[in-house]
Formats: sequence, structure tokens, C-alpha cells
Amino acid sequence: MGIFAGGYAGQILDVNLTDGSITRRPLDRAFALNYIGGRGFSSRTLWDELRPGIDPFSPDNVVVLAAGPLNGTPAPSASRLTVATKSPMTGGVGDANSGGYWAPELKYAGFDAIVIRGKSEEPVYLWVEDGKVELRIANHLWGKKISETSQLLKEEVGDDDIHICAIGPGGENLVRYACVVTDEEGVGGRCGIGGVMGSKRFKAVALRGSQDVRIADPKRFKEAIDAYRETLVGEAWTETLRTLGTPNLTGHRQKLGIWGAKNFQRGTIEDYEPISGENFREKFLLKPLGCMGCMVRCRRYSSIQEGPFAPVYTKGPEYETIHALAAKPYVTDPAVVLRAHVLCDEYGIDEQTAGSSIAMAMELYERGILKRDHVDGQELVFGNGEALLYFIEKIALREGFGDLLAEGTRIMGERLNADYYAIHIKGLEVDAADPRALVTRALTYAVATRGACHLRGFPYIDEFITPEEAEAHFGTAAVSDVKALEGKGKMVAWSEDWVTIADLMGLCKFAWHRSRNFPMLIKRGLELAREIFVATTGLPMTTEELYRCGERVYNVEKLFNVREGFGREADYPPPRFFEEEMPDGSGKGAKLNREEYDRVLDEYYEARGWDKVTGEPTPEKLRSLGLQ
Amino acid sequence: MTKQRIAYFEDTRDPESMCSRCRLCELICAFHHHQVGNPRRARIKVISLGKGVDIPVTCLNCEEAPCMTICPTGALHRPEPDGMVMVKEDLCIGCAMCVNACPVGTITLDPVTGVALKCDLCDGDPQCVAYCPAKVLKLTDADRYARHRMKAFVKSLQASQEGS
Repeated sequence: MGIFAGGYAGQILDVNLTDGSITRRPLDRAFALNYIGGRGFSSRTLWDELRPGIDPFSPDNVVVLAAGPLNGTPAPSASRLTVATKSPMTGGVGDANSGGYWAPELKYAGFDAIVIRGKSEEPVYLWVEDGKVELRIANHLWGKKISETSQLLKEEVGDDDIHICAIGPGGENLVRYACVVTDEEGVGGRCGIGGVMGSKRFKAVALRGSQDVRIADPKRFKEAIDAYRETLVGEAWTETLRTLGTPNLTGHRQKLGIWGAKNFQRGTIEDYEPISGENFREKFLLKPLGCMGCMVRCRRYSSIQEGPFAPVYTKGPEYETIHALAAKPYVTDPAVVLRAHVLCDEYGIDEQTAGSSIAMAMELYERGILKRDHVDGQELVFGNGEALLYFIEKIALREGFGDLLAEGTRIMGERLNADYYAIHIKGLEVDAADPRALVTRALTYAVATRGACHLRGFPYIDEFITPEEAEAHFGTAAVSDVKALEGKGKMVAWSEDWVTIADLMGLCKFAWHRSRNFPMLIKRGLELAREIFVATTGLPMTTEELYRCGERVYNVEKLFNVREGFGREADYPPPRFFEEEMPDGSGKGAKLNREEYDRVLDEYYEARGWDKVTGEPTPEKLRSLGLQ
Repeated sequence: MTKQRIAYFEDTRDPESMCSRCRLCELICAFHHHQVGNPRRARIKVISLGKGVDIPVTCLNCEEAPCMTICPTGALHRPEPDGMVMVKEDLCIGCAMCVNACPVGTITLDPVTGVALKCDLCDGDPQCVAYCPAKVLKLTDADRYARHRMKAFVKSLQASQEGS
């Protein structure tokens, strides 16, 4: 526990796979105060430890698994784990985030974070029990899918009450977008962290912990969690998440025509009903699940009881599942979508990039750029669910055409001389929705430090903030006008720093940093988050300082990317969004305008204190954040 | 008054009236009793068998409580005739006889202090019940629980009649 009155385990575990050495480092108080935990620890570690230009798959790369100070306490929805590395997808900062039970268990086992470095000669896994740490041979686990790996580890340890973070065959085979999976359900999906683990021949971390996560001021802590609970009462978004989960968004996408279906060639889906959130609930939902200590419970637990895939039991789908494996490849049989989801999770590959890569290949096939003999003789057209399922396995095993699909769309574009059809930003495929109709959404995706990402900021504030609130908070009422450009760079920058706080604490963004009420964003995301942090850790922290922690981490990530050679050009959406109008739906005819985009990007850089030409943080900005 | 205990009230026909495995009951229990985060010090545990089976398990407050009968030091005792079996921590020697004797296995030894750990109903205001987001945990007794089950049975009869 060391110097901390609560929250932190106080120790970071450092494992060098090359020589098998295991060290424990005390967590530094100033480091905790400046970076909080989770993504703050991981991003700063990547910045401190990695030489520029290293190959992400080389032993020089590190993998960081980091919990936050609130993980393991009864703080609501404090379940999130950050896994991070230099991304093989982008070459920049790469992190992914998973819910579930693993991050709390890491704390109970005695550590705030684990840093994995080097490369093992033979496959290994790490067993951690209450501060005891052991590297163990994993030859018998290599090649095994996620659920088999989990089963074998539980048998080997002789206990099924352990928590496992593992890679599947996708990671072992260096699929560039392989994911890590915690407890067979929580996927740290994006940026290819699983592939880097595979490159180190590092199969899994298994945990068992029974140590206390202390709470510095229990009375204040209880008052804070009760105050948080109060904020959920009657909130529509919370109800929606519980009843439909993230798939509640399908209706919104269909209505606005922003699916980005068929590799962003269509806005709506003709045969939409079967893949609606409502239909997934009616046909497949067994019950909602909650991650550790979550009152919102947006996770779905689904089963397929009849048909060719039965029986299937799985966590999911998420909205992103439906976006990636239904909308993009235009597959509208929900059972096929769920089956594809299970395959991605079992083989350990990011379903978003898998669906995107297959969808891009479908477009290239339909355009005649790819021929049948390139694609293992498959009829690789949009809507072919069998081809989708076939190629998910081929990707994970890097067999046949799957070997190219396993590289993701950027490299596919380079190899096939078809860059234009690779819909990515910084090398990471565009997720969530088509941002063409609203420049702020496009900006948020495009400036995100890990590559295209809808969770790096919260650009929807303009939909509900009042003119008075906008004037008071952003200095211009224009922020309350969805179509106005003024103030939007500022809004996006603020939302990024603010939403980052969730990733530092180990909190869930859906539970803490989402609302359709601006004062509630401040109350939960800053004031209550600060209150619960102080009550847990006993450390001093004002809301201004907490916000600055978010800003500091965002700047460190930017510094990392700049050091890797990312300039202003890396902060642009893919050309298709500028060139082609939205083909259908309510946004029909919309496309991004370069002049407008440049204007909001300029304003964004200005709000951030970054150089408008290079995107680099200015010395003044770095000084103000204590980064020089 | 009959003996009270915490029971799991699920309705398998309603996805939202089932345990959602958030384990907030475990977290809040350990917090209430020890002011820490540590589910292995909780007196309730969600047992998961896969395929959507997640059930919180805690003390049944047996009439002839085997834990109390077998306790060699008198640490496990029932202060009120119809009340909960409680632990006198200063008398408990951590022999784990109660752990072996409990018919459902809900007693364990505290991993930090080594003494017996069991549900005490939080002085009549069980925190697991108060915080369960699915509201499937209830403070109840055999009579009330039986009525709940009878009601579920009759509803299933009704449903099958309507369906036929």
C-alpha cells in the first residue's frame, strides 16, 4: 500500500520476458497525482520508455495493462482496464479499454499496473496471486482459442475463481489488429495490442487476489456513490442502455442514414429490422449483464437456441458489433452477425477492423480490383454472410487471402493500390458511424490520438447544450447550434480532456461521461469523479486539476505521435468523406468541405495550444502542464 | 417473527429480473463491514455457471444451524431466538469447521483477519438488498419466499392456459 491512504495498490509489476526477470516498483505519488492511473499510466509509460521508430512487433515494444485508482472499490462502474502499446495499426499510441472484472482483480492481487517487455523464447503466461508472481510455460495454451485457454488455465490452477486476460490465435499469428480478451467477455479490441502480446510470445495473465483496496474516507466515499446513484434515477439514457444496450443506437443510425454501410457507400440499410437493437433483444437476449459494480448494466448476454449455429451463448452484441459485422459487410442475418462476433472474440481479433477489412475487400471485389482467384475462390460480395464467417477464421490463422486481410485496410490499400477505399484515420478504421454530415464528428474521429475513434471525445454536446450554458462554458452561444462552426474546435478539445478522465480513473464512459444534459456532464464527469477520487485516495485534487490531468495525458499522447512523425496531415478524415456525397438517408447529399474542416481543425489546435502547421504542442502549453 | 434471510427473487421470463452479475452486492457488503473494496471479504457471492446462470448465494439462516452447532468455541451464536447467527470475532479461532458444515457453503474465513465471515443482515438493513440494481435480492423469510414461489408457479399455469 505504501504511501497511499487508499485506492492504489502502490506497486507496479515489471516483467522482462527476454530474461524472465520480475521486478516490483513502488508507485510514485507525483506520478499518481499527475496521471491518475489507467490510460494516464500507460500513455506516459509509452512516452518514457519507447525509442521513436521501433517496430511495434519487436521486443523493444512494451505492453502495459493498467488499472485506475477506483478499480476494485464499490465506486459505480469502476471496472475498466486500459491495455496499451505502440500500435501496429497506427505506429502511434495504441490503447484499448475493456470492462468486466479483470482490472479490479489486478488491484486485489496487489498491483496497479503490469508492464510487459522483451520477448520470450517459448510461449509463457503470467500467474499472479496476492503479490506472488510467476512466469509459466504456455506451450500447451499456444494455438488455443480464448474459451479453451481460459478452461485450461482454470484447470491448471485448480480454481475457477480466477480472472484471465488472454490472446487467441489471432494475436499469436500477429494479426495486426488482434485484441486481448478478459474473462472471455471483455474485449480490449482496438489498436492491435493482442498482436504485440503474440509477438512477445506472451499468452495470458491469470490473476487471483484477496487483498483490500483501501478507501481513505469511507463516509465521504459512501456519500459520493449515493450522490452518483441519485443522478441515474429517471435518466432516459440509463434506461435505454439497460433495456437495449449499446445496440439502441441502431435506430439512430438508420434514421439519420449514417451507418457507413458497404464500406461507407450507403447510409441506410434496406433490410434493417433484423439487425435492429430491438430485434436482437427480442430474439436473442437472455439478460443484461453488469460489469463489476455497475448499476447501468448495458452488456447483453445473448444466446442462439435454434438454427445452424445453435447453441451459442455469448456476451454481446454491442452496437459496434452490428456496425462492423452487419452494416459494413451488409450482412443482415442477425444469427450470422452473432456467430461472426463469437468467432472474432474466440480467435481474438478486433471485430471492428475485421469487419472493415472484409467490407473493403467486398467493395474491391465488386469493383473488379480483386478477382475470385485472389480471394480463395469466394464470392466476396456485400451481404455474403458465409464469406464473412469464412474470412474471420482465415484472418486469425493468416491463411489464404486472410493473410492480407489480417493487415487491416491501410496496408491492404497500399498492397492493392487501392488507398482510396481504405476508410481509416492514422491507420485505424473508422468505427461507430459515418461522420460526413457533421464536421465536428469528423474532427473528433480524425484528431483522436489512437486513430479513428468515437470514444476519444464527446462531440454531441452541441445537440443539447443551451445557448446560455454554451456562452458560459465555451465563450460562445454558437456551440449550441449544431450547424455552426464557431466554438466547435474548443468544444471537441474540452470533451477530449474531460472524457479522458474516465480512462484515468478506471470508470466507464457510458456510466460517468454520458448524458444529454450539460450540467450533468460537469457534475458526474468532473465533480463527482473528483469527490470519489479524493474520498478513495485521500489525495488532494480540485476539479481544475483533474481536468488538467485529462489534458496532460492527451498532450503526452500527442507528443508520442509527433515523435513518431505524425503531422497535421494525420488529423484528416479519409478522402471518401470529402469526395463522395452521402448517398441516401436524411443526410443525402452531405459531404465534408475541406475549407470548413481546416477551419475547425485550426480552431481545435488553437484551443489546444498546438502549432497549426505541425500539430505539435507549443512549449507554453507543455510548460503549463508541467511537461517540460 | 420468523427467521429472516436474504433471498434471490428472479423471474426468468423477464431479462431484467435476473442477476446481472455486476457483483455490487459483494462490493457493498465488504465495504459496509470492512470499509474496503474486496469481494473476498463479502458475505454474499455471485456464483456463475455460464450460459447465463449467475446466482447470488448467502446465509440461509438455518433453524438448526450446523455452523453454530459445530463451532467449538461458541463464536457462532444466535443472540436473539429468531435472529441471525452471528460471529463473536474474539472467540473465533479460524478452525473452519463452520466452513465445512454450512450446507450451502456460504461461510468462509476472512482472508485478512482469518476469522469466520458470514451474513449478519447489516442490523436489519442489508446493504446488498439496498444496492442491488436489478432489485432481485430481498430480505425475506421462509413464508414470504414460499408465497413468491407459489405465485410464480400459478403464473406459469396461467401462462400455459392462455397459450393453449
